[in-house]
Amino acid sequence: MSLEITAEQEALRETSRRFLSEATPLSRVREVMATDTVFDTELWTRMATELGALGLAVPEELGGAGLGYPEVSYLAEEAGRALAPGALLATAGLAVPALMAGNERARARLLPRIVDGAAVGAVAWLDPGADWSSTSPPTRAARDGHGWTLTGDTSPVLDGAVADVLLVLAEHPQGPTVFSVEPDQAGVTRTPLPGLDQTRGLARVELDGAAAEPVSAPGAGRAMVTTALDHANVVLASEMVGGAQACLDMSVEYAKEREQFGRPIGAFQAVKHKCAEVLVEVEGARSMTRYAAWCASHNTAELPTASAIAKATAAEAYFRAAAENVQIHGGIGFTWEHDAHLYFKRAKTSQMLFGDTGAYRRHVADLIGI
Amino acid sequence: MTADTVSSPIPYSDAALEFRREIRDWLARNAPEDLRGVRAVPRMPSPELKPHLDRWASTLAEAGLMCVAWPREYGGRGLSGVEVAIMNEEFDRAGVPRLTRGMGESLVGPAIITHATEEQKQRLLPPIISGEHDYCQGFSEPGAGSDLAGLRTRGVVDGTELVINGQKVWTSGYYKANMLFCLVRTDPEAPPHKGISYVLLPIERDGRSNGVEFRPITRINGAALFAETFLTDARAPLDNVIGGLNQGWRVAMTTLGSERGGSATTQHVAFERQFWRLVEKVRERGLLGDVRVREQLAWAYSRIQVIRANGLGLTAELAAGRSGGGLANGSTSKIRWSEFQRAMTEMAMDLLGPDALVTGPDYQLDEWQEEFLVTRSHTIWGGTAEVQRNIVAERALGLPKEPRPAKGVTS
Ligand SMILES: Cc1cc2nc3c(=O)[nH]c(=O)nc-3n(C[C@H](O)[C@H](O)[C@H](O)COP(=O)(O)OP(=O)(O)OC[C@H]3O[C@@H](n4cnc5c(N)ncnc54)[C@H](O)[C@@H]3O)c2cc1C
Ligand SMILES: Cc1cc2nc3c(=O)[nH]c(=O)nc-3n(C[C@H](O)[C@H](O)[C@H](O)COP(=O)(O)OP(=O)(O)OC[C@H]3O[C@@H](n4cnc5c(N)ncnc54)[C@H](O)[C@@H]3O)c2cc1C
Repeated sequence: MSLEITAEQEALRETSRRFLSEATPLSRVREVMATDTVFDTELWTRMATELGALGLAVPEELGGAGLGYPEVSYLAEEAGRALAPGALLATAGLAVPALMAGNERARARLLPRIVDGAAVGAVAWLDPGADWSSTSPPTRAARDGHGWTLTGDTSPVLDGAVADVLLVLAEHPQGPTVFSVEPDQAGVTRTPLPGLDQTRGLARVELDGAAAEPVSAPGAGRAMVTTALDHANVVLASEMVGGAQACLDMSVEYAKEREQFGRPIGAFQAVKHKCAEVLVEVEGARSMTRYAAWCASHNTAELPTASAIAKATAAEAYFRAAAENVQIHGGIGFTWEHDAHLYFKRAKTSQMLFGDTGAYRRHVADLIGI
Repeated sequence: MTADTVSSPIPYSDAALEFRREIRDWLARNAPEDLRGVRAVPRMPSPELKPHLDRWASTLAEAGLMCVAWPREYGGRGLSGVEVAIMNEEFDRAGVPRLTRGMGESLVGPAIITHATEEQKQRLLPPIISGEHDYCQGFSEPGAGSDLAGLRTRGVVDGTELVINGQKVWTSGYYKANMLFCLVRTDPEAPPHKGISYVLLPIERDGRSNGVEFRPITRINGAALFAETFLTDARAPLDNVIGGLNQGWRVAMTTLGSERGGSATTQHVAFERQFWRLVEKVRERGLLGDVRVREQLAWAYSRIQVIRANGLGLTAELAAGRSGGGLANGSTSKIRWSEFQRAMTEMAMDLLGPDALVTGPDYQLDEWQEEFLVTRSHTIWGGTAEVQRNIVAERALGLPKEPRPAKGVTS
């Protein structure tokens, strides 16, 4: 498979866009935003069953469609455009690639449940209050008869409050290891966290002797989190490209219809050129993201660098697009009622997620060996 | 570039892969040792280098490897954008320059092929391929830059000839050219776009001046690479008017639309080499441990990868038989690379520290000083950065058009 967009991929994009605009218009997003967990169970089930959204990059023998990350990327782009609430990033971005790198038992036990929409996945690797770059596992694993238990707090966990499969990084005698934890047990306390971006669910997860099963090989937990992040950044970058495109579309539409000084404001170069610059940035981010998604399926050696660059590039494009969109809308763009702020908040928090742009640049510098 | 592996990002056809093998084999046999490592050709080659380049150019012309995007019937090879990209990759791989016939090949040829009569094609295209005709461009005038249609140089029909008077400016490559392709106003009464002709003017005739006088202009970097061009009763045969008298505007648009194709997959290569040279310099200065420096360098590397990814995506679409890119892709690409190069070289100056303050004798510049200065021009020639933004906003986004001058141009 090479980089060109196939007719099937085009169709997937079209179907996803139509589905999402009907199933979760921004009016619906605002309803879900007002809930603690920012999760729409019905939408999740429909995305899993009608779009096959969670199994696109999962092999057929594990219940998936056996496609790849280009497909995941096109779907995520549409989800980002729609600001679709739900755990796509946490599940398809983080949990699925983590499990794919995990042991056979965990894969066979957990992936089919995720693919058919029965289980939401989440990955937790951060100490509360730690920087994204922190490498110390937030929990400790202890032997308990034949099994293991985990103890410790972790936050923020993307969609941690609604996850049915929690993959948690823990200190282990042989080094950091990822375990799966079923959240419905006595030792697990989950608290939704109110987010600056109200369209994404964040939670604090507290484990106190919670039963757990190893997912990574002992000591291979950090590598698993890194692999998960390499893939998650492809999904996140795709969402950001879709969000940026939505902002550009809104800006252009408004610039054509809003008149001041007897002309559409889009006739003023101060506005017109902003739109052109945003297009250049979005187009570049889309190309980079598409390449990174291709690497995730067809050139994994290049994936770490490509996905880090895609993340930072898409973040800059999205923030620029979202910020200019507020500006181009003038006073109305500064209101709660207008949708511009939803994208503006999503843009900035997505840029900060997993590490800000500077952090990703430093990461790229390390990866290319300078 | 490992194009033949299974995971190539470009869906090459068997024919394209066969073409790559053919070029690779030909280069293995013919790439000149004396030019190995000379990937970029200086604008004004040294007297030592020039004969080597001329010889290589003749070899390429004889092998049918000049003007390769032109149709076969006119001496080209009818190569697609994907095949031109392959050629660029293979020449780069062999480490020898892929010479072209410059503006004659990339700008004049396409205009002739699209708009000229069969007789003109037979007469005017072969000398471009052989190198006999070397063109420079006479479009801009003191009063007509971005607003090219405001040009005033006059062309008056006199029997079978066009007599030309006026002034052009910023004529690049004048020092080696023997032909000037220019726009002249042949109908001063008509609206600005309707009274212009596109004519190919010999700079000398029968070994004598043809009323074309160049006065060199020194560029920002100290090199006199362009000129003011004064035209005084310069004469061109009417047979050298392309596309018909007063029909020159659309011919000019073909020229301006003929952005160098085929560079999409190789453009980043030169940027990447330059990047690594900068990294070495910064390493020598002991700055690679500085977090801010690392972030700046990673920024540059990332922009280069965006340019690369964009080129790969476009080429993949072309190879799959679709026209890649959006409605204004030439403009968005130009904005992206030209502004990147400016920023990258500004950054390089900062990173090079006190050394970058001092030039050699006679304003001899090092690579970074040179690039820092020269990259300012990339957002001016070929449509300024602002004009490119207008094009992007209007064509790709459908935003309101710039106001057009209400009245015609008077001479
Ligand atoms: C927090 C806040 C408090 C406010 N308080 C008050 C108040 O107390 N009383 C009051 O009367 N008003 C108030 N305003 C309104 C404020 O003055 C207007 O929002 C402002 O004048 C812009 O007008 P607009 O929102 O209609 O945007 P528009 O004028 O429609 O502008 C939309 C976009 O087009 C651009 N644009 C418009 N014309 C041009 C041009 N000629 N050239 C280039 N670009 C152009 C603008 O810069 C902007 O980006 C307030 C606004 C805000 C945000
Ligand atoms: C290195 C170099 C080589 C060149 N070689 C050649 C050559 O070989 N032959 C040839 O014919 N020409 C050549 N040119 C000329 C080039 O095509 C012109 O410089 C270019 O078209 C801009 O015209 P101008 O310099 O008159 O600037 P102007 O058109 O006067 O522009 C001045 C400023 O105003 C801005 N501006 C103008 N119109 C608009 C608008 N509508 N909206 C917003 N901003 C606007 C421009 O962006 C620019 O910033 C060369 C130029 C350079 C720098």
